Amino acid sequence: MEVEGKGGEAGTTTTATRRFALPVDAENKSTTFRLFSVAKPHMRAFHLSWFQFFCCFVSTFAAPPLLPIIRENLNLTATDIGNAGIASVSGSVFARIVMGTACDLFGPRLASAALTLSTAPAVYFTAGIKSPIGFIMVRFFAGFSLATFVSTQFWMSSMFSGPVVGSANGIAAGWGNLGGGATQLIMPIVFSLIRRMGATKFTAWRIAFFIPGLFQTLSAFAVLLFGQDLPDGDYWAMHKSGEKEKDDVGKVISNGISNYRGWITALAYGYCFGVELTIDNIIAEYFFDRFHLNLQTAGIIAASFGLANFFARPGGGIFSDLMARRFGMRGRLWAWWIVQTLGGVLCAFLGQIHSLTWSIVVMLIFSVFVQAACGLTFGVVPFISRRSLGVISGMTGAGGNVGAVLTQLIFFKGSTYSRETGITLMGIMSIACSLPICFIYFPQWGGMFCGPSSKKVTEEDYYLAEWSAKEKAKNLHLASQKFAETSVSERGRASTHPQT
Amino acid sequence: MAIHTLLFASLLIFSLIPSSREGNKGRLFSVLQNSLDVTGKPVQDGVVLEAGKDMVTIKWKLKSSGKVDADATFKTIQVKLCYAPISQVDRPWRKTHNELFKDKTCPHEIVSKPYDKTPQSLDWTVDLDIPTGTYFVRAYGIDGDGQEVAYGQSSDEGRTKNLFSVQAISGGHVSLDIASILFSVFSVVSLLVFFVKEKKKAKLEQRE
Repeated sequence: MEVEGKGGEAGTTTTATRRFALPVDAENKSTTFRLFSVAKPHMRAFHLSWFQFFCCFVSTFAAPPLLPIIRENLNLTATDIGNAGIASVSGSVFARIVMGTACDLFGPRLASAALTLSTAPAVYFTAGIKSPIGFIMVRFFAGFSLATFVSTQFWMSSMFSGPVVGSANGIAAGWGNLGGGATQLIMPIVFSLIRRMGATKFTAWRIAFFIPGLFQTLSAFAVLLFGQDLPDGDYWAMHKSGEKEKDDVGKVISNGISNYRGWITALAYGYCFGVELTIDNIIAEYFFDRFHLNLQTAGIIAASFGLANFFARPGGGIFSDLMARRFGMRGRLWAWWIVQTLGGVLCAFLGQIHSLTWSIVVMLIFSVFVQAACGLTFGVVPFISRRSLGVISGMTGAGGNVGAVLTQLIFFKGSTYSRETGITLMGIMSIACSLPICFIYFPQWGGMFCGPSSKKVTEEDYYLAEWSAKEKAKNLHLASQKFAETSVSERGRASTHPQT
Repeated sequence: MAIHTLLFASLLIFSLIPSSREGNKGRLFSVLQNSLDVTGKPVQDGVVLEAGKDMVTIKWKLKSSGKVDADATFKTIQVKLCYAPISQVDRPWRKTHNELFKDKTCPHEIVSKPYDKTPQSLDWTVDLDIPTGTYFVRAYGIDGDGQEVAYGQSSDEGRTKNLFSVQAISGGHVSLDIASILFSVFSVVSLLVFFVKEKKKAKLEQRE
């Protein structure tokens, strides 16, 4: 099997002699984003990573559209279904945190493919489950694959430069999240095709699960065969050749978790992405029960929520980059806070609406805002830390899932609250948990309500503070140095900060 | 561009939703006459029936104790398999509602026949897609407009007597289990193969 020589290129040549299809910055990250290109390594990495993530989302949410059949086959109760929904998003809380560190250590290519290939068995084994426990377990383990989100963001942040990283992150994640909507259309179609071939209902749904499983496996192969961790090569090859120094795991983790901004982004993400995941799990049932629609119609409405991700989340990322061009990091923060708060308002509204037509309209607008907020989050995350980018991405991603678990536990388990009250309360909680965004402050760029520090802190000061003097003596900090230089663009056009 | 897509999506959704203002909206179960005598007896009493294999003998006729021309408007008889309350617990998709169009007690149709004044009998093999649960049988008398006008059921009003249990098929097959194992092993093994290849390649780089 011929494997492309990515490592070979990086081995002995210097950066000066490398040529890329797209214009690059000092770290060889692309400064533009060309959607219809598959040029090595930047755009290829983009397409491989979003597609793999898409397949993982399809697998994780493959059960909800087929629940009417599955619940009868396995004799599930509403409690079982609720627990399985919580299980499906809770597994990846832990997985996302670990994935951040795994990316820092092994590179996004291996880390993501390893996760995807090791969770594929959970999807295949769904075909053989016979009880509610089996159902909860396969949804739990299959859900781990949602951690490929972190590797997607990490990979894009490694391949694309500041001015376009928000867009790259937003489109990759948005098109991945699309899987949650696409699966609501794909699985029923696959199911009816298999039925037409003669299988009984209770066998057809089982066979249907092989499709997402196969796609998951094949997408991982594509990543391993055609992908590359960094513009300059792969992690392992670069480690051995000395180009990329291996960092101290403990220091990377402690540096990441001690950065308060990572905790704020984790909380805020819990109330945009967490809300999105919760809605993915409950919205079809909501429309089915409250408005007495048939299952196909409820499924189409459920799908449309997730399908908005095609443009909504990328839109958030692109909007973040646009704001940064003019207003710098402060613009990114303001845009994020406003969009996410509005999303919360619309969510609170949604639960109060009694008419079907207006519920759908508000839901669609709400989906655009909440998904754009997710895109805006990851316009800010790449700048919080350079050394511990993986850890911060992992924390934030995990925070998203924690938000989903908490929200489903508090508002959507059992019959404490009616579904509509739950949705309204979730919206109010979103608004509250978005407020901490106001407290994110970068001394070199400022925060929402404060300008940059009067002490004239530079980007270099901020990013190199993550390394000790000893580590700098060993030249471990060079990548951060390059990043600091390119991140000067986050000052915005109207710079009140004199050049140092 | 985003606005256009939003509007288009909305239009698509609206065109697909059937109008909720159907003709028989608001028709209540409680106004139906209990003028049919229905019995549903499994082949053996007290035994759990297997879906696809065991049979239930269903009989229905007009109640002799009812009004003289209670069946004047009957055009069709629809016999359905219904969930007993015990099978509805913690399963809101099987909930009983008084409004007939909302009611989800009897989702499985057994037979639908033109109304015959003579007593009818049917030996029905439990369908393959009937879920595990406890059931009774109900027959609806339907008029020319497709509206229910009367009913009868094999159980009492509280739906606690004369019930029978069904065990569903598992739907699983040995071939499916084997396929699951094969594909899973393939995924994990190919991961290990890739890892080994990566390490070898990295060692090669180091030597250069």
